[in-house]
Amino acid sequence: MREREATQKFLVEMGGSLVLYAIVVSVSLRAAPHVADGIARTALMLSPMIPALLGLWAFMRQVGRMDEFVRLRNLQALSIAGGVTALFSLTWGFLENVGYPRLSMFVIWMVFGLSWGTVSLFHGVYCKLRAQ
Amino acid sequence: MKNVVRQLRTDRGWSQGDLADQLEVSRQTINAIETERYDPSLPLAFAIAKLFGKPIEKIFFTEK
Repeated sequence: MREREATQKFLVEMGGSLVLYAIVVSVSLRAAPHVADGIARTALMLSPMIPALLGLWAFMRQVGRMDEFVRLRNLQALSIAGGVTALFSLTWGFLENVGYPRLSMFVIWMVFGLSWGTVSLFHGVYCKLRAQ
Repeated sequence: MKNVVRQLRTDRGWSQGDLADQLEVSRQTINAIETERYDPSLPLAFAIAKLFGKPIEKIFFTEK
């Protein structure tokens, strides 16, 4: 599949998932205070994970559409991001033992995403400089 | 590995994007191959050889 076509498909699939995610998060957060504690409320709070799974599906489809070099480059970026996240979580875990504040699990995803984006950005810039 | 992909491409007046489209890979991949930062897989190397109508060893070779 041509690169532009693959990118357009990914943008539509991922964009749709993100829009749906935003809608479901908004609805679930507004509705949650009106639902009694219990399974129904838990299910309501977890409902954004359905469009999040659609986002994962869109990402996996895009990985399948990637050519060998782009897939390798992404694997490298994801590996580095995973390593950075592991180091961060270990480091912070030790710091928590000496009184540092406990962090939300959400932070892990942010660290991972930021590392992934940073590595991809650096690699992209490096490729452009090498191309000149 | 050394290669003459850039020369073969420019001889035909193709851009990196043109070549990428014909091989159904990304432009970054073509760029990485041309700048010898990436050695393509055997299937992709064969696809390149077929597209340019040359034996694979005339396109990809070692420095010796």
